[in-house]
Amino acid sequence: MSMLEVRGVTKKFGSLVAVNDVTLTVEPGELRAIIGPNGAGKTTFFNLITGFFPPTAGRMFLEGRDITNVTATDRVAMGMARTFQITEIFPELTIRENIRIAAESAMGLRMKAWMSGSDTARVNDRIDEMLVATRLTAQADRLVGELSHGDQRSAEIAMALALRPRILLLDEPTAGMGEQETFQVAGLIRRLHRHANYTIVLIEHDMRVVFNLADRIMVLTEGTLLAEGTPQQIADNAAVQAAYLGAAA
Amino acid sequence: MSATTISAAPSRTAKPKLHLLIIWAALLTAPAWMGYIGGYDALASRILVFGLAAMGLNLLLGFTGVMSFGHAAYFGLGAYGAGFVLRYWVHSTPLAILCGILLGTVAGVVFGALMMRRTGMYFAMLTIAFGQICYYVAYSWNSVTGGYDGLRGFQRAPLDLGFTVLNIRDNGVLFYYFVLAIFAVCTALMGLLLRSPLGRTMIAIRENPRRARFLGINVERHILISFAISTFFTSVAGALYALLNNFADPTSLYYVISGNIVIMAVMGGMLNFWGPLLGAAIFVTLQDYISSMTVNWMSWIGIIFVAIVLFFPSGVLGFLRRRSASK
Amino acid sequence: MLTLVLFNLTNGLILGLFYVLMALGVSLILNLSNVINFAHGNFLALGGYVAYALSPYMGYWLALLVAPLVVGLVGLIVERTMIRRVYARPHVYSLLLTFGLSFILQDFCRMVWGVNGLPLSIPNVLNQPVSNTLFFLTGYRFFLVGVVVVAVAALFAFLGFTRVGTRIRAGTLDLDTVSALGINIGLLRSFNFALGIFLAALAGVLAGGQIGLNPNMGDDLVLPSFIAIIIGGAGSLVGTLVGGIVIGIASAVTAIWWSAGSEVVIYILMVVVLVLRPRGLMGEEGMMT
Repeated sequence: MSMLEVRGVTKKFGSLVAVNDVTLTVEPGELRAIIGPNGAGKTTFFNLITGFFPPTAGRMFLEGRDITNVTATDRVAMGMARTFQITEIFPELTIRENIRIAAESAMGLRMKAWMSGSDTARVNDRIDEMLVATRLTAQADRLVGELSHGDQRSAEIAMALALRPRILLLDEPTAGMGEQETFQVAGLIRRLHRHANYTIVLIEHDMRVVFNLADRIMVLTEGTLLAEGTPQQIADNAAVQAAYLGAAA
Repeated sequence: MSATTISAAPSRTAKPKLHLLIIWAALLTAPAWMGYIGGYDALASRILVFGLAAMGLNLLLGFTGVMSFGHAAYFGLGAYGAGFVLRYWVHSTPLAILCGILLGTVAGVVFGALMMRRTGMYFAMLTIAFGQICYYVAYSWNSVTGGYDGLRGFQRAPLDLGFTVLNIRDNGVLFYYFVLAIFAVCTALMGLLLRSPLGRTMIAIRENPRRARFLGINVERHILISFAISTFFTSVAGALYALLNNFADPTSLYYVISGNIVIMAVMGGMLNFWGPLLGAAIFVTLQDYISSMTVNWMSWIGIIFVAIVLFFPSGVLGFLRRRSASK
Repeated sequence: MLTLVLFNLTNGLILGLFYVLMALGVSLILNLSNVINFAHGNFLALGGYVAYALSPYMGYWLALLVAPLVVGLVGLIVERTMIRRVYARPHVYSLLLTFGLSFILQDFCRMVWGVNGLPLSIPNVLNQPVSNTLFFLTGYRFFLVGVVVVAVAALFAFLGFTRVGTRIRAGTLDLDTVSALGINIGLLRSFNFALGIFLAALAGVLAGGQIGLNPNMGDDLVLPSFIAIIIGGAGSLVGTLVGGIVIGIASAVTAIWWSAGSEVVIYILMVVVLVLRPRGLMGEEGMMT
């Protein structure tokens, strides 16, 4: 069964068609990249998948279950976690506390006004696990606002991971980063994919990152699907070269 | 909202709690020194009552980032609930407080559920409107509520502890300590709440509602919970207010009281746990002083509101913190 | 009985028109500036008092127009010096600010013109009863309805057909886009605020001729104007118009058999609308949520 299946979704804002009849299938363990020029509808497409707003037409399935009318919050419970283009994290809290909020949420402790010792221990274990996975243990007790861009992004990914997602959606994880930080975040994504076997969908601008990491790539232009295939197929695709790479050059 | 300084990450402060010591020492000794600075027992009790109401509101306003301009309703219902018990049912202070809490909190949950789908200014507008419903009901339902004159003809009952009877009815100082005891329990509960997962969820919503949603947090439901909890504490304060005055009148439900509770929270510093208490102390004292000094008390109160908003938006504590940070 | 019903219906309509003038102003300001103006009722009172002060010099007719302009100017100054400073801040600040202003304005009217009510005399020609049996149909009431109709029609024409009006409507829907088009949002908001205050002050002059002047004459109109907006639906001025008239009539009709319920009924209507039609009678889907 596919991890994620999107069938012919369309999103209109008034007369503007932001996403037009796009279909996408992501298999378990796959790393899928979505590329396209600015304004191609990539983030809108992401927002549809994560339930930020409902599609005008089309349906979506997560592991075979229809999620078209499921709220964003409930999609998280079903195993979908995302990060944002602009890091959305709680800057006045430490990394550990940020992850704690996510971990407690995922473990169904949200409503609790008090916690037993074993609950606290379970939460702390999960936090430590995420810190190790994202190599943030040394910075765990620093305020997120004081960290480098790359560490902030890693912390945001750690929060997403603390939700124990079945699928991870990353919206331009290396946006606005320098060489060193891009390398750090790309390395983290590679580890999550290769070693921890996460299913990942990411939007990315940096072509080196995309062609190095992705199993398959889909190309969007003006809200429509232009091409889809392995990195090699995409690199060789004449339409992509004309429309996308041409436009970028 | 995220540009604010927060003291609400309690787990990370391990410093000795000097400020706690000062606050509790001041509160415990208040009846002894209030007189020297022109105060009196009832004023001290009133500060505690409004401090509790403002701290209750602040769970919503300061810690969840959601605006309510209608908390007078739950404050006033707390007062009427307590008044009903003493006036019509039994002569029991604890029961009066319980019924006040019940009335205020049930209204909070019901109204909250009706309002919850709106956000921003429309939510604020609805909180005012729902508050006014309670006001008009109290105002119009003469036979039960006493209408414009309010519910009168009752007195708080002495407290029977089994081994001794505390005469909080006639002894103002004793009553102050009774209020302080309840205040202490309530603030302890609030402190625990803010350290719990639920408290962290509230802060997460304040800091970034969108992010919270994508962490699987049901934002609307948690705002409703926060709203209900906040009305609970505000109605405790309301019940105590009725006991303090030995009456409950419609002005305790009027939106002006809502505004006063909000300004107390903002004045002290709504991002600080104790800010609203400080704000209540300043505002209640000023109000008491101004209304006895001049007929133009409205202008002065208005000027206080405007000055706080324009010049001290982060309140006294926020102002002091910035001052000390810039040194 | 029929006379009584007609009497109350007329009262309700008149009351509704006052709600409409108030609510349209509150709504304009809320839509474009995202500020709830608690002081709106005090600007109404100020309008009445300024007309009272001016009419000995310029006569009633001119004062009817000049007083709202003067108060509109006061509104403009208040917006430029204070309100605009809280636009970027959390909602709580603008609420507290206008709340404080409302206290100051009310006390100002009290200091200048006294606590006791004052009559705002209207020209005799308006005082004649139009009908002997329907005593309540005075010329003034017809005049009042006429003025409100003209004012509301002018407002809608202004918003619909002028460039500034179009910008105000566009700003209501999507402020980012409007400012991206290079339109000066700050000026637009100032003008819009003054326009809202103008309407309140006009209502004040009209109300003064009906019930006389007192410092808190506008207080009872502020909260119902909020309800009119909630019932009418967020972002819809037509909704606000309908909402205002509906609650005015509902309130007066209720007063026939339950005088104490004339205020409560407004709130009951609001709850009913919220439960049955959460976006309000004419609100855009999603505007209020």
